[in-house]
Amino acid sequence: MADMILAAEGVDKSFGITHAVNHVSITFAKGEIRGLIGENGSGKSTFCSMLCGIHTLDGGRFLLDGKELKIHNQVEANRAGISIIVQEMGTLSGLTVADNIFLGNEDRFTRYGIKNTAAMNREAQRLLDEYGFTHIKASLMIDNFNFEDRKLIEIVKATYFKPQVIVIDETTTALSQYGREELYKIMEATRADGRTVIFISHDLAEVLAHTDTISVLRDGELIDTVPSAGSTEDELKRLMVGRELGSRYYRTDYGPPAKGDVVLSVKGLSVPGQIRDISFDLYRGEILGFGGLSECGMHEVGKAVFGASFDRQGTVALADGTPIDSIPDAIRHSIAYASKDRDNESLIVNDSIRSNIVLPSIDDLAEGGLLKKKRMNRFAQEHAGQMSVKMTGIDQFVSDLSGGNKQKVVLARWLGKASDILVLDSPTRGIDVKVKADIYALMSELRKMGKAIIMISEEIQELLGMCDRIFIMKNGSVNAQFSRSPELNEEDIIAKML
Amino acid sequence: MELKNRLQNLKTSKTFGKYYGLMLLTLMAAFFFAVFKLLTPSNFGSADNLYFYLQSSIIYSVGACGLYFIVVMGLFDFSIGANVVLSSIVGVVLSKSLGYAGLLLGCILCGALIGFLNGFLYIKLNIPSMIVTVGLMLIFESVAYYAAGGIKQILDPALQAFGSAPGNILLSFAAFLLTYFLVKHTKIGTYCYAIGSNEYTAKNMGINVNKQKLMGFVLCHTFVGIMAILSVSYGTSMTATTGMTSMSRNFTPLMGTFFGLAFRKYGTPVPAIVIGEFIIAIIFNGFVALGAPTTVQNIVTGAALLAIVALTAHPEKGVIAK
Repeated sequence: MADMILAAEGVDKSFGITHAVNHVSITFAKGEIRGLIGENGSGKSTFCSMLCGIHTLDGGRFLLDGKELKIHNQVEANRAGISIIVQEMGTLSGLTVADNIFLGNEDRFTRYGIKNTAAMNREAQRLLDEYGFTHIKASLMIDNFNFEDRKLIEIVKATYFKPQVIVIDETTTALSQYGREELYKIMEATRADGRTVIFISHDLAEVLAHTDTISVLRDGELIDTVPSAGSTEDELKRLMVGRELGSRYYRTDYGPPAKGDVVLSVKGLSVPGQIRDISFDLYRGEILGFGGLSECGMHEVGKAVFGASFDRQGTVALADGTPIDSIPDAIRHSIAYASKDRDNESLIVNDSIRSNIVLPSIDDLAEGGLLKKKRMNRFAQEHAGQMSVKMTGIDQFVSDLSGGNKQKVVLARWLGKASDILVLDSPTRGIDVKVKADIYALMSELRKMGKAIIMISEEIQELLGMCDRIFIMKNGSVNAQFSRSPELNEEDIIAKML
Repeated sequence: MELKNRLQNLKTSKTFGKYYGLMLLTLMAAFFFAVFKLLTPSNFGSADNLYFYLQSSIIYSVGACGLYFIVVMGLFDFSIGANVVLSSIVGVVLSKSLGYAGLLLGCILCGALIGFLNGFLYIKLNIPSMIVTVGLMLIFESVAYYAAGGIKQILDPALQAFGSAPGNILLSFAAFLLTYFLVKHTKIGTYCYAIGSNEYTAKNMGINVNKQKLMGFVLCHTFVGIMAILSVSYGTSMTATTGMTSMSRNFTPLMGTFFGLAFRKYGTPVPAIVIGEFIIAIIFNGFVALGAPTTVQNIVTGAALLAIVALTAHPEKGVIAK
């Protein structure tokens, strides 16, 4: 066996009544890429957060190269030789790119308390250029860059000092194909250097393709560690969920699309700099998919249909011609929207599940202008139950839930509102296979009930598996349109995306 | 559209961005100057008048520089005015026996101590800074009243060098340079921005957030101590009053801080504070020249501030302001 670099011995962590990590013992070898997988809430991120000093341990210990780690924050972890690229935004607005890269480590550019900004910018630029991210200027404010570029900056920040262990926590979902390829190169270079990568992802194909071994967590416990070579997605899913999960959890019907009435008509929809001249009709009982590269404009289509875009041009109207020009218009006319940016745009994370579910229905639940607590409780309980939200109760704060359960709260909210048209942007982003299966089943059921769904997704497989029609966008316009067919494959779609 | 894009590029350019901000501020100052000069040419805007406006505005600018350190972290302080009164009185009392050393050290050390108390209690009590500083404001006002012995404290005419040029200008510009230096060339500025952006992440980057906040309060009130030297030297005396009367002294420095925050994106917070306070002085003195009642002056000054910050901040569409 290769030399061991990192060991966890009986690592333990609870949040209230939730035992997030349950006495996990695991070792990592030098020069390996280890996949770490599990359902949402299985303890992967908590395990890595403890390793990096973001959370404290309730019990157990970590050993790096045989020495016990005692760290309290990310900078101490970096100094010990461990770094992490976090799932959400890990850079700070209001600072320059260089400030972000060296935040907490400015001392190497500081003499007698005076920071040598020019030297720091030069060094940051040298690193960015070395990584091939030459389009990023170190002296500019980080606010000038989009989410993906900020992730690339985080990658530089987390790896430039060549740490012994790099944790990559569900980062690839924020990256385009280019960003992913760059990340894979860095992972491979790290392995070639004899250092270790812990790679967390819900994309099992990606995990199988880019790791040497895979450890599976379930309900906070280590289930198994298997070699990547020779393992299959189905085996991994079984280990994650604890039972067989059919590989075909998408729709299986391929008959001719039963075209119902038009429920929504979109004509000449444009948002300057984002989308151009998008037109389509949405039919009752249809799932209409939008796909493409991350920046192709598909996410803006969802916002524009829901009336949430600024400077929108063109028309969005119901079958009877009622225009949808604002979010209140959309909600009033039974249109729902679940954003890709779940935490910031769909949920009030620092509030209870109840408050989040009742929010758009509050007028319907009030009597004579007064809110009735019992009625709201009943309403929230019913719809959270319908979505099988894993919770301690409807009073639990949404911030305590895993990504999959947060998405269930979003969907429960719109089910409660009895929405007829659902715009779902990346509904399964960062969600494990089991909750994914639940969401696909719900979508199929809603479709059968005559609801119309616009599904925006960066995952080609789910577009192929779930949609009646697929629009592929490129540079803000629709580049191709496909109808549901068993013959349709990923290559056809990719050819129109690029 | 092309022109709009070019303008946007100019605004965000590293080289020209800061000049764009300064140009906007200068144009605003020129605009208000021209309006009042046209309305009341004989009473307003002579070279002597402008020099007077500058001298009064730099006093508030020094306090605004101090406030910048904590407001940028998302904190607030209502005890600025009470600190000016208390530090001035301590400075005047000490100057009677120690001369300039007593005035300077008395004001600055008293200011810094008040900052330490504010920061310390804010951290230890773990309650919002606004509440902590309102409570402390009442205490500082009363302490100032006792320290002054219930009488007006007059600064010896021989010790009033910082009340007029060049003393006041030299001291103020030293404070502006110090602010610029701390914000731009030390970790303090970087950490203040980091905490204001996301305190949780800042903590995870190894930043001792409580220590930085305490440092922010101390710096804030040290600058307020310098403001006290300028205020008492300019006004020649200080009277301590109780019952939240010091509250009105908070707002003019705060307005300058808002200018600094609004123009931070152009990389020029300190010049924005100084020119912003000068604009406020022009508006205020313009109304005095017009003979407008104080209530009208306050309404228009407040409205002008809101309009200027709203028009210049230009938040991205859809961005939520809190």
